[in-house]
Amino acid sequence: MTSTNPITIATFLVYIAGVFVLAALSHRVLVKKEFLSEYFLGSRGLLSWSLAFGFAATATSGGSFIGFPSLIYSYGWVLAFWISSYLIYPLCAMGVLGKRLNQVARKSGAITIPDVLRDRFESPALGLFTTCTILLFTTCNLVAQFKAGALIVEETFNLPESWGYTVGLLVFAVVVIVYTAYGGFRAVVWTDVMQGVVMGVGVVFLLPVIVSQVGGLDQVVERLKAQPPTLVTSIPGDNNDLAFILRRDSYESVPIIGLQYVLSETALVDPRVTLIEDTAGQGWVTRVELATNEASQVLTTAREVREAVMSDAVISDLLRVELAYENDGSKEVAPFATVHFVRGEERLFGPGRRPDGLPFHPLGLAVSFFIMWAITAMGQPGMMVRLMAFKDSKTLKRAMLIVTGYFALIYIPLVFIFTAARILLPYIPPESADKAMVLVATRIVGNLGPWHAVLAAVFVAAPFAAVMSTVDSFLLLISSSIVRDIYQRSINPKVTEKVARWMSYITTVIVGVIVTLLATRTIDFLQYIVVFTSSGFACTFLAPTFLGIYWKDMTREGALASAVGGLGVILLFFLPSVLGGSRVNLLGLHPVIWGLAASFFLGVFVSRFTGPSPGHLVRRYFYES
Amino acid sequence: MREVAVILSAWTICLVYTVTYCYLYGYLSHEGTPESTGPDIGTLVGPLSSFNRDPGSLTTPLGLAIPDWIFYGVVLPWALCILFSFWFCLFYFKEDDLGSEGTLGGGKVPDDVH
Repeated sequence: MTSTNPITIATFLVYIAGVFVLAALSHRVLVKKEFLSEYFLGSRGLLSWSLAFGFAATATSGGSFIGFPSLIYSYGWVLAFWISSYLIYPLCAMGVLGKRLNQVARKSGAITIPDVLRDRFESPALGLFTTCTILLFTTCNLVAQFKAGALIVEETFNLPESWGYTVGLLVFAVVVIVYTAYGGFRAVVWTDVMQGVVMGVGVVFLLPVIVSQVGGLDQVVERLKAQPPTLVTSIPGDNNDLAFILRRDSYESVPIIGLQYVLSETALVDPRVTLIEDTAGQGWVTRVELATNEASQVLTTAREVREAVMSDAVISDLLRVELAYENDGSKEVAPFATVHFVRGEERLFGPGRRPDGLPFHPLGLAVSFFIMWAITAMGQPGMMVRLMAFKDSKTLKRAMLIVTGYFALIYIPLVFIFTAARILLPYIPPESADKAMVLVATRIVGNLGPWHAVLAAVFVAAPFAAVMSTVDSFLLLISSSIVRDIYQRSINPKVTEKVARWMSYITTVIVGVIVTLLATRTIDFLQYIVVFTSSGFACTFLAPTFLGIYWKDMTREGALASAVGGLGVILLFFLPSVLGGSRVNLLGLHPVIWGLAASFFLGVFVSRFTGPSPGHLVRRYFYES
Repeated sequence: MREVAVILSAWTICLVYTVTYCYLYGYLSHEGTPESTGPDIGTLVGPLSSFNRDPGSLTTPLGLAIPDWIFYGVVLPWALCILFSFWFCLFYFKEDDLGSEGTLGGGKVPDDVH
């Protein structure tokens, strides 16, 4: 196995030290100001660059630098289409709610999103409900982000597989919990600016290095086209049974009842399965090839499959493998599962192909994702709270411009880099696909020379920064929900600043520890958890907030129905996937579309029947300056 | 509210253009599957199978190694959106007063308010 260059490790440690320095500086500001407002909102004094990078870094989570690259690695250029609504994302996410939300929050003195909703509608029930929703989804998302952070540390320091993840998790947890708890919102913002710069620099420098390693721009497309068919990986719960069975530690004991192959019409030979180890020693890889000299056969155990004849033949005719196996602990024979393969040239086009042969990005999902990225972004509490924190309108204007340019700088190059990465690292195992970014940095770039080792550290720091910047915001979101929304506003309004201060520190640490414990179980497919939690947030928060700040006739009953209904629909549609099936894509559309539709409909419909809205609230939020 | 309307209009135009272009010109196959039932644009543009891409037809505009359908369907509109964002922020966006912390008073209330 190729190890990480020591210079890369040293540079990465310098970066971590920089994060702690910023936290310490932030703490010095914190002790001089009113605690809760400063700790959770930076005293509403964000300037353009800090707002822009804080917003961008929070949006650019571990999903963007860990999950997104693994999907690009698996499916190719269709991911540029998948992410395409980021072209208008900054305007939507910041411009639609920004100014008005900031005005409303100032009027009520709110420092959290549940604060805003509670005050706008004078509804403690709505405040508590939205607080609980934040706790639920933020915890889910944090667990996934902690996993991403742990993987980065594990790979960067080249830790052994047996305990590397656990140590990586502890290192990541200590770093992020300490600087967030100690420095509060301002530390989070300052580190976000630094992390935003690191992410941008990382991507910009990685691009030419990768192109050069592939052999030039003209080689990128040609070499990708020429790749042999490979198993699609990194997909959750999609009957990827072949990969699943053969990757388990106890693969020998899994009896395979039957195995058969389906060839293209032009195939002239029978296939055989060859499983090879990847060059980095990362594990067993299911590259399936055809042998040209023997007839197909039925193999009876996973071991037999694995030990099938090693073949040098590379084929283009194998379409899919079907296998049946005996379920663990029962005599039940599972039906034949079909695993499809993707040809190299398919990664240059849409819609991409999942292991079960269905399209990865069909039209219905293409429409859904375009709506989802830009529109659901408006409904994320972690980002909405940034919009409550900027200093003036000019700050927002400049920040929108910065984020627009910044996203263009990051996302298209990322697709380019990881389609090319498949050429350089063709056999990253499925369970390691989330490590694609780190593997590219440490295994390819880091070993090209001393300066490249420094660059590799920046590349590793980029996803680490992305994860940290999301985690720190979410940690504060949870602790603010507990300290401000539950304790101060519902239990003890007269809490002293000293008590609030210590409660905030302790809550942040406790939440971090709980999430760390939850993340000790490895979780697959980070990007899907990010999508689930983003959808849940949007369906709960967007309609009540949008209608509440722009529509004077919105009532508290309407707001509550909107939040509860939106959340209910998204949970209902995702429930089958929790129970082991697939989520419900009614009419081919993603659940978030139905959740948002239900939330907006209920908000308007119930408000019409329960109006009018109290006059003093209308006066306060719509007419008084 | 006018600013919100402009942003959402721009988003709608991007949605229609990018999704339509990429779906028609970037997909190897447009065959229907249980997962791909979505808006039926086939009634607008004719048989979708006529848009199936032949892998050999792929080009890379400007030699950038970016597939043609991504270049025209995503990269180009992205560049135009950056220009639009500059126009919006520099010439259309109003620098309204955001008010001061926790102040609740003074404004004129129209008669028709509840």
